[in-house]
Amino acid sequence: MYCLSDEQIDYILNDIRRNGVEMEDLQLNLLDHICCIIEQELKEDDDFEHFYQQTVRRFYRSNLREIEEETIDLLTFKNYYAMKKALIVSGASSVTAFIAGSFFKFMYWPGASILLTLGIVSFSLLFLPLLFILKSREVKTVSDKFVIAIGILVGIMFSLAILFIMMHWPGANILLFSAIGGAAFVLLPAYFFTGIRRPETKLNTILMSIILVGIIGLQFTIARLRPSPFDKVATANFVQNEALLKVLVQAQPSAAAANIFKTCNELKELLLQQSIGAAAIPADYDERKLYLHDSKLGNAFFDNGPGVQLLTSLKEQAKLFNSGAHDGVMVIGAGMPALVADPQRVVHNYGCISLLNSIEQLQIYVAVADAKNTTAAK
Amino acid sequence: MIFSSELIKGTLKTIVLKLLSDNKKMYGYEITQRVKDLTGDRIQLTEGALYPTLHSLEEEGLVTTELEYMGKRVRKYYKLSASGKTRSKERVSELAEFMETMRVLLDIQPKIA
Repeated sequence: MYCLSDEQIDYILNDIRRNGVEMEDLQLNLLDHICCIIEQELKEDDDFEHFYQQTVRRFYRSNLREIEEETIDLLTFKNYYAMKKALIVSGASSVTAFIAGSFFKFMYWPGASILLTLGIVSFSLLFLPLLFILKSREVKTVSDKFVIAIGILVGIMFSLAILFIMMHWPGANILLFSAIGGAAFVLLPAYFFTGIRRPETKLNTILMSIILVGIIGLQFTIARLRPSPFDKVATANFVQNEALLKVLVQAQPSAAAANIFKTCNELKELLLQQSIGAAAIPADYDERKLYLHDSKLGNAFFDNGPGVQLLTSLKEQAKLFNSGAHDGVMVIGAGMPALVADPQRVVHNYGCISLLNSIEQLQIYVAVADAKNTTAAK
Repeated sequence: MIFSSELIKGTLKTIVLKLLSDNKKMYGYEITQRVKDLTGDRIQLTEGALYPTLHSLEEEGLVTTELEYMGKRVRKYYKLSASGKTRSKERVSELAEFMETMRVLLDIQPKIA
């Protein structure tokens, strides 16, 4: 029986480590195994190194690390690598869909909402859960698993909340506040107290906690706690004016008036889309708490966008209407707010609600003037 | 004839569990040697398959381990836990039934001694 020296044992152990076997348990197993083989099979005067290299070569196909990878595979789960791949693919594709969707939205191309929805849904319901499955198996303690679970849950709620806000779906605020509350009162303390106990993670934990507090705080400041009562009144006003307009418009409006109505309706659709995410105010807006919001006009009213073009043609149409009007009958005054002096600069002077009301007012005015013209003509 | 590693892979856990139920405690090299001896060199467990299996049995709680320090080396002995003993019996009888089913499925005539 061959007798191994301590140096030879160190040599073998170092070689095992150098070949990428990191689990200590496995290192010891392999070391003992190789030592046994050498002791049994090596002759006293044979070359140790040569024999060792030949022996260890039998253990694997392309490198010794395979054994460790196989062990991790069995210890965690069989589809570890397939899942890792799925994680990367789903993550990359949902982020791509999201960025493309934002760009489409910015450019007013069709398909923006579908891309954004797909992106956020696959990010929150595919990527994040997969991330949880993989990450939770990499940590050992229950508290670490809990922190990961809460973190992922908050992430899912937060990204879904963004989707709900964007699509103006009901429940968006509940989701957003649950996410922020979960982050502030569950995730943050859990993360802080698991990390602070370990000396090696102490500094990082403190830094990350400060960053988390900052993000939660920022998020909280931009969140709208409840719909403003002003918005509710503004919405009711608008709905009433719409009803009034319907009564006032003649069954057969003149061509000039019809053109103005068409342009106005297109403008209103753009503004409603921006303010509540729908082309018209639904009948049950009050139950759904879907109120007009005096937001910025949106991209359509920038840089000669569709909104700016509509406002420009509205001014021309008003002139046409006036030229066809009978003497002494109502004409559209140039000072009406809907006839924006410089449509290129409309975003600086109007919000969604004020422009909507101006347009509504113009329509009512035109409806009345049109009716008077018709009577005068007879 | 040496059997293919594919065939051995599916039965490796059963082999290890059965050996450990017949022997009080064993270490890795000992297991490979015992299998070689018992099968007349026809089944040779590879280290690349054996150790991952042993680690996974340990993780499942079917075997317990015991360390023996020998100078600069540490030998890790494996022995069956209580649940390992039950599992060992289950796996052996499952494999026996499987072999019987395969005999019927593949229409293998038993050799008459």
